[in-house]
Amino acid sequence: MKKSKFLLILTLLAVFAAGCSTTSKSGAGEEATGEGQDQKLEITIARAFDVNGLDPGFLTENAQVVDNIFDTLVKRDAEEKLVPGLATSWSQIDDTTWQFKLREGVTFTNGEAFNADAVKYSLDRVLDPANNAPTASYVSTIQEVNVVDEYTVNVVTKKPDPLVPTRFNRYPTEIVPPKYAEEVGQEQFAQKPIGTGPYQFVSWDKGSNVVLEANPNYWGGEPDVKKVTFRSIPEASTRVSALLNGEVDLITAVSPEDREKIESSSTARLSTVERAGNTVYVGFKTDVKPFDDPKVRQALNYAIDVKSIVDKVLQGAAVQTNSLIGPKDFGYAGEPEGYSYDPEKAKQLLAEAGYPNGFSATLDTVSWYIKNTDVAQVIAEQLKAVGVNIKVNNVESSVYRTLVPAGKQSDMYVLGWSSTNTLDADAAIYAILRSGESYSTYANKDVDAKLDEARSVTDEAKRKQLYQEIQDEVLKDAPRIFLYQENQYYGVSDGLKWDGRVDGSIPVSTISAGNE
Amino acid sequence: MKHYVLKRLGQSVLAVLGAATLVFFIIRLSGDPARLMLPPEASEEQVTALRESLGFNQPLWMQYIDYLKNLFTGDLGNSLYYKESALKLVLERMPATIDLAMFAIVIAVTVGLLAGIVSAYKKNSWIDYVVNGWIFLTQSLPVFWIGIVLIMIFAVNLHWLPTSGNRGLESIILPALTLAAYPIAPIARTMRASLIEVMDKGYMITSQAQGFSKPSRILKRGLKNAFLPVITVISLEFGVMIAGAVVTETIFSWPGVGQLIIQGVSNRDFPLVQASILVISIIYIAITLVTDLIYHRLDPRIKVH
Repeated sequence: MKKSKFLLILTLLAVFAAGCSTTSKSGAGEEATGEGQDQKLEITIARAFDVNGLDPGFLTENAQVVDNIFDTLVKRDAEEKLVPGLATSWSQIDDTTWQFKLREGVTFTNGEAFNADAVKYSLDRVLDPANNAPTASYVSTIQEVNVVDEYTVNVVTKKPDPLVPTRFNRYPTEIVPPKYAEEVGQEQFAQKPIGTGPYQFVSWDKGSNVVLEANPNYWGGEPDVKKVTFRSIPEASTRVSALLNGEVDLITAVSPEDREKIESSSTARLSTVERAGNTVYVGFKTDVKPFDDPKVRQALNYAIDVKSIVDKVLQGAAVQTNSLIGPKDFGYAGEPEGYSYDPEKAKQLLAEAGYPNGFSATLDTVSWYIKNTDVAQVIAEQLKAVGVNIKVNNVESSVYRTLVPAGKQSDMYVLGWSSTNTLDADAAIYAILRSGESYSTYANKDVDAKLDEARSVTDEAKRKQLYQEIQDEVLKDAPRIFLYQENQYYGVSDGLKWDGRVDGSIPVSTISAGNE
Repeated sequence: MKHYVLKRLGQSVLAVLGAATLVFFIIRLSGDPARLMLPPEASEEQVTALRESLGFNQPLWMQYIDYLKNLFTGDLGNSLYYKESALKLVLERMPATIDLAMFAIVIAVTVGLLAGIVSAYKKNSWIDYVVNGWIFLTQSLPVFWIGIVLIMIFAVNLHWLPTSGNRGLESIILPALTLAAYPIAPIARTMRASLIEVMDKGYMITSQAQGFSKPSRILKRGLKNAFLPVITVISLEFGVMIAGAVVTETIFSWPGVGQLIIQGVSNRDFPLVQASILVISIIYIAITLVTDLIYHRLDPRIKVH
């Protein structure tokens, strides 16, 4: 008996000692980040995943990290307006040629000079089909890039393309140093990138973090934040805990359920970006009975109480909309008058279409979107009230991404779309409305013609008008149930001044010390 | 003995091959990496081109034969997502997972053995019931729940430990406790059952007659004989921990193989998943093999079945 008691006490002591030693350690640790009083502002940003490479030309995720190392010819300011970046000005010199005047005196952080050759090199390697650049589709309208003189390039497109300036704002068009890139090769460049940006690469500990430090010679002035660590914390609730615990200063992708926790904390605040996420809708296969009848599609729009879904299920984490184009997108024309919640009218329309007793269908849903399963269940309940029996089918997200382009999803399916790569109506709707596109299950010749025209005329007024017409027609024809556009949330430590952006980027050079 | 070792070795090689084959087909049943590597706007031609350049347009059996051929030369291919040697990525991450599993197994063994011994010694007393109840509880709680609760208590409320990451000793404690929670139960249960069984054996009764006190009888004679089945459980649990660190690593963003697998699966990164599963199977099978051999050595009564 004595001996086992002794063992027990020994273990308890050991556990206690371990606890003590760690407290003292973490107290003296490196957690004191983000405090304004230090002369050196160092911050940690936690995202849901690690980078998989740091070459902007060959990314398969977004460019949140690399956009701090590299510059694009065109930048977006806090209002998302296009402003000069590595190009000081640009203009269209004929239908298919855009000319960019480049900033002089800029060097890469290895000393290499930035010039027209670097621009041509950066684009050529992405356009070369042999390189299989994942985001080549973002620049596939470009025929070639020509060097006019040391600080002038002409971008020639295959067809007139109004989106050239905005394409030169986002990956894969960041400018890389040709000599260095050639010297080390593509694989090595993705491990140790060099750019002209406000930050330079320090280290990448795979699966954990990427460290960058300020570029003291940055052409736009040295940024306030001197060192930034991008950590990956995949679990959403752990990310929030790390913020509240002061281990990190900024977190992305805050789940709507965690909003309250951050809002009520004394050390961090919530940054809400309204309508920065996906525009979520229920799509119909419009060539399949009974969804080939516009009356049926309109009826289902009348049958859904979107406002109550947004208020009660999503707790306000989205904004109800009948527009597929977001307010920051070019081509947004305000909120169109849509379908009100009117189950009686829905029943009447169904009866007119020849379905007085309703019908049965399957609705596919996927966990990409906020509370998607709950939303799908409520939609099923509401449709049941007008006689439509819905079976909800949850699909794993990676499977969904191969199912939908193959047209193998159910006749009704939840899908969301966003335009963050260009902030233009074209990115918001072309891929989901143009017949023949992978994610489109709609075919309307008139809409097709207008979509094609809108992506090839450069007259802004004409484009706006075309998008207005497309929206009106689509709203009436109802190839989907219009739902809402999701908000995005960031958690920001109280010592920092920064707010989330619609384009989803985190330009660390715009972060400064102090309270909002 | 020699015969036994050879036979067990042969079985192990077959088991590794079986695992390699299973993972090859299962991961291919569920998706298309080319689609996932490209942005959703990508055209069907682009997807087809990428699929061809990756060699995924060939018939499955041809891909399988290539895979086996490469396997025997030690070439597990390049990760589609990281564009680096898949095996290198796995081996880079392995030490973090092994650190975590070692730390966790030490906790689990210490707590499990103590709990088992105490409850066997005080069989059917209140302390036995408390220990058993607690074991029952930890075994039925989901790992991610335990992890999140530990983070809430020790990181967010008490500020004693960091929530996540891998930065020194203090960051391993919470994930190790989480990972240890589950195997404590089988270790304690086996220890208790085995000790109770041994205490009823003839030699224990003899030693009682010789005048040894109960604690010294248990420590000197009982434990030695009761340990055998416990060793098997511990080594199996250690193998399970290495494979089962997936959830724990994700909660605590511990940069080990578990997280790599999760990422690999969601990107349908075939070579990466194959390499991870293969390395883990080899470790698991090796542990089982070594345990069996030790067991055989300790107790020669164990025969080849």
